Amino acid sequence: MILFLLSLFGINYITYYIWSHTTSNAPAQAQAFIGEPPFQFPYVWKTITYWSGFLLFIPGLLIIISVTNEYSFKTHRQNIIDGLSRTQFIMIKIILTIIISLISTIAVFLIALMFGISEGGGSISFDNVEYIAYFFIQAVTYSAIGLLFSLLFKRSGISIGVFFLFVAVLERMVSAITNHYIDGVGDYFPLRASSNLIPFPFFKNAVKMITKEPNIPYLLIASGIYLLAYYFICKRKFETDDL
Amino acid sequence: MNVLTLTNITKFYGRIQALNNVSFTVPEGSVFGILGPNGSGKTTMLGIIMDILKATSGNFTIYGKPASAEIRKQIGTLLETPNFYHYLSAERNLAIAAEIKGKGFDDIDNALRKVNLYERKASKFSTYSLGMKQRLAIASCLLGNPDILIFDEPTNGLDPVGIAEIRELIKKLASEGKTIIMASHMLDEVEKVCTHVAILKTGNLITAGNVDEVLVNEDVVEIAAGDMQKLETVLHTLNGYSSMRKTNNAFQLLYANGTSSLEDVNRICFNNGIVLNHLQLKKKSLETKFLELTNN
Repeated sequence: MILFLLSLFGINYITYYIWSHTTSNAPAQAQAFIGEPPFQFPYVWKTITYWSGFLLFIPGLLIIISVTNEYSFKTHRQNIIDGLSRTQFIMIKIILTIIISLISTIAVFLIALMFGISEGGGSISFDNVEYIAYFFIQAVTYSAIGLLFSLLFKRSGISIGVFFLFVAVLERMVSAITNHYIDGVGDYFPLRASSNLIPFPFFKNAVKMITKEPNIPYLLIASGIYLLAYYFICKRKFETDDL
Repeated sequence: MNVLTLTNITKFYGRIQALNNVSFTVPEGSVFGILGPNGSGKTTMLGIIMDILKATSGNFTIYGKPASAEIRKQIGTLLETPNFYHYLSAERNLAIAAEIKGKGFDDIDNALRKVNLYERKASKFSTYSLGMKQRLAIASCLLGNPDILIFDEPTNGLDPVGIAEIRELIKKLASEGKTIIMASHMLDEVEKVCTHVAILKTGNLITAGNVDEVLVNEDVVEIAAGDMQKLETVLHTLNGYSSMRKTNNAFQLLYANGTSSLEDVNRICFNNGIVLNHLQLKKKSLETKFLELTNN
């Protein structure tokens, strides 16, 4: 099992390369966006996780590439033929979403630490470090949605297209419309729920006046339910479909 | 002991019925050919056995047990097209297969040698020709020396030399006591290597059994004379043939293999005052037999 994961790593070497490349760009981009005191402890946790959140489509993309790649080479069939059970196969992909999210989270943690230390003159504070955990939840959500879409659409082009539309436009749109009619419900939409965990980090006082503080427990519960639902649908679909 | 037993397997793709109540058994140590024209459900059936397709109804057992991933590890399978990671080398691809099957890596070089790909083992799969891909797929089947092999169109895309090699390989595997299940539309392939055969047509199992029984060869005696009506009455008095039919300008008498005698036919006709202008013994080809079976 572990060895198989290692070979999966081998298979996805190229995609991992792209990934590490983009996340190493994250601080530079984040810096370009801002470059203000929020990079000092303890606010740095919130800042880095918030801005890094915009790059979270990348783990989702990686999952889509990894899964649709199997579909286009029909290697998912071959793996089953060779003796993986369907459950094993889909669990490996689910574990992959968690691994990718963990790697992103660790990277973001280190980036935040780095910024905090260099900006804050050496002292380290772990206040607010819970934002790293929220970031992890957000990362898992994005990659789980990537997994779901690739299982639903099977082709990389369509999956990536729909994924981007969903992440960038559709979900925000529907969420905003719903919020307009029923106040607050839109905040609990699939991606909103997890990304609202980390509110806008700047101009804290101004933000307080125009938006309300997120209700963290409810958002956490909502995110958890969504995640379970995604994984359940993915598992169910892969176990019962014709491949 | 039966290696594989299918019971009433039915499969629908939406409204299209790909398999209709197919049941048969594959005895241990046999080379079992599944014959059928394109689209007759051969691959669908093998796909169901390998759990990449789900049967709409019916079930099957392997060695008397329901299918499982563990059993699949003991089966070498080539299904339809070779499926490998294009960007990895032959060796790496086989390493993945060996890893999944839980077999060691020592077998890889051996398997590659058996299909003459050893020299190209470090090349990426995407650089392979169709025939080489097919060979690699067969090498993948041989990993871990499985007791059951399933080949779906094993000689697809191979050159004549390659076809002969694969045929030899299958014969050799069969002589080692392995059970081989082979789907094909190449009749001579089946005729040359199989001990048992099942014939599928648009999802229906037409017949299954020993190859000598199913694909029994018949002698066809073709006869024509100037006076066809008189000839017909005389031919009715003949015995020994299994059936008679009329073609455009001749009668065909079907005899069991090797029981016909042109001399007898000629003598009887001549004694009855008929002079034949055409008398010929034809061996019915497997192909005609196959067309006959699949056209009923």
